[in-house]
Amino acid sequence: MFFHIVLERNMQLHPRHFGRNLRDNIVAKLMKDVEGTCSGRHGFVVAITGIENIGKGLIRDGTGFVSFPVKYQCVVFRPFKGEILEAVVTMVNKMGFFAEAGPVQIFVSNHLIPDDMEFQSGDMPNYTTSDGSVKIQKDSEVRLKIIGTRVDATEIFCIGTIKDDFLGVINDPAAA
Amino acid sequence: MEKGATLKSKGKEGSFKGKDDSSMKSKYGRKVHINFEGFPEPKTLSSPKYVGKDDTPFPKGYSSKGGKGDKIANGGKTPAKEPQPLELNIELELPENVKCMSMMDCEAASILQGIQDQMVTLSKDPELKLPVPFDKGLQYAKRGVHYTNPQSVRKVLETLTKHGVSNSELCEIANVGPESVDEVFSLVPSLKAKRSKLSEPLKGVLSELAKLKESASLASQLEEESQHGGKFT
Repeated sequence: MFFHIVLERNMQLHPRHFGRNLRDNIVAKLMKDVEGTCSGRHGFVVAITGIENIGKGLIRDGTGFVSFPVKYQCVVFRPFKGEILEAVVTMVNKMGFFAEAGPVQIFVSNHLIPDDMEFQSGDMPNYTTSDGSVKIQKDSEVRLKIIGTRVDATEIFCIGTIKDDFLGVINDPAAA
Repeated sequence: MEKGATLKSKGKEGSFKGKDDSSMKSKYGRKVHINFEGFPEPKTLSSPKYVGKDDTPFPKGYSSKGGKGDKIANGGKTPAKEPQPLELNIELELPENVKCMSMMDCEAASILQGIQDQMVTLSKDPELKLPVPFDKGLQYAKRGVHYTNPQSVRKVLETLTKHGVSNSELCEIANVGPESVDEVFSLVPSLKAKRSKLSEPLKGVLSELAKLKESASLASQLEEESQHGGKFT
């Protein structure tokens, strides 16, 4: 889910960036350092939407760098356990399938796929029901529920299930 | 008011078919905490089927009752504590000092699109590139959008707040785009406790949202037609 959140960070600036454009330099460095990163607490920082406050700079002992506390607003994307997401399938194998929802990768194990769906290998590996009515393959859209999350240094990885009511492949209204 | 639910599992793979049950044990042996407070309705679950290295027999057809809300960090074996449905509990999971507003996908899409448009005008500098998660986030938000006007969606959903629905639950409902009241209760289990109070207002809200969805898809169809028409003239 997306969140609008206020975060704070200490930006260290080399004196060569001081001058008329100090504020712009701080903001540019902030955007470079923060946008696109991921943390366990807040999830992916998708975009910075505004700067709330830049505090007074403090000169670091010994180095001459100056540290500015910056408060900024940003849009973050963080998956939660229990959340319902619509994801696009990226890979299918006999252990299950991988899907992507925004910047987050989700794995759905074959144990969490309804029992009536079987794995079919081939050029386009897929999971299909016995009557062939429902198919999950690469680029299919599925609605799944997140049941667990794990955070790495740079990304969030989730486990999902489609074994519940109202979960599974999303039908194309045109095809329905 | 908020039902906190954290499932404690032992790291065995398990899957079971329950009517509204979605508690799962993750395949990777992760402990998934579900903390539960006074769940009113008992449920019967069919026997779970799982493949694990150790075989711990699960009783067939047991009913889960509301447990006390205790957070047990260490997973001890408790066959008596049945897994509870996994509930979305954002307020508990986020660090308390962080104030944040959950956003619907349509709101996020409009904000991110605005930023991208700004980047297009500013991007005389070819080195200025938006990071990958931004693109993915924008694509995801746009794809999931059923509605064009976030404000009207927000207004419609706000009527539910007086029944005790939290902001994050409202966003869930908007993002999912449910077609029936059953779907809402199945996908947002934290609302189930207030089912009796919420069913009626929810029906009204869902029909309003359906109208907004329709008008949004009509508008996008018209836009497509006008674009095609423009090409041929």
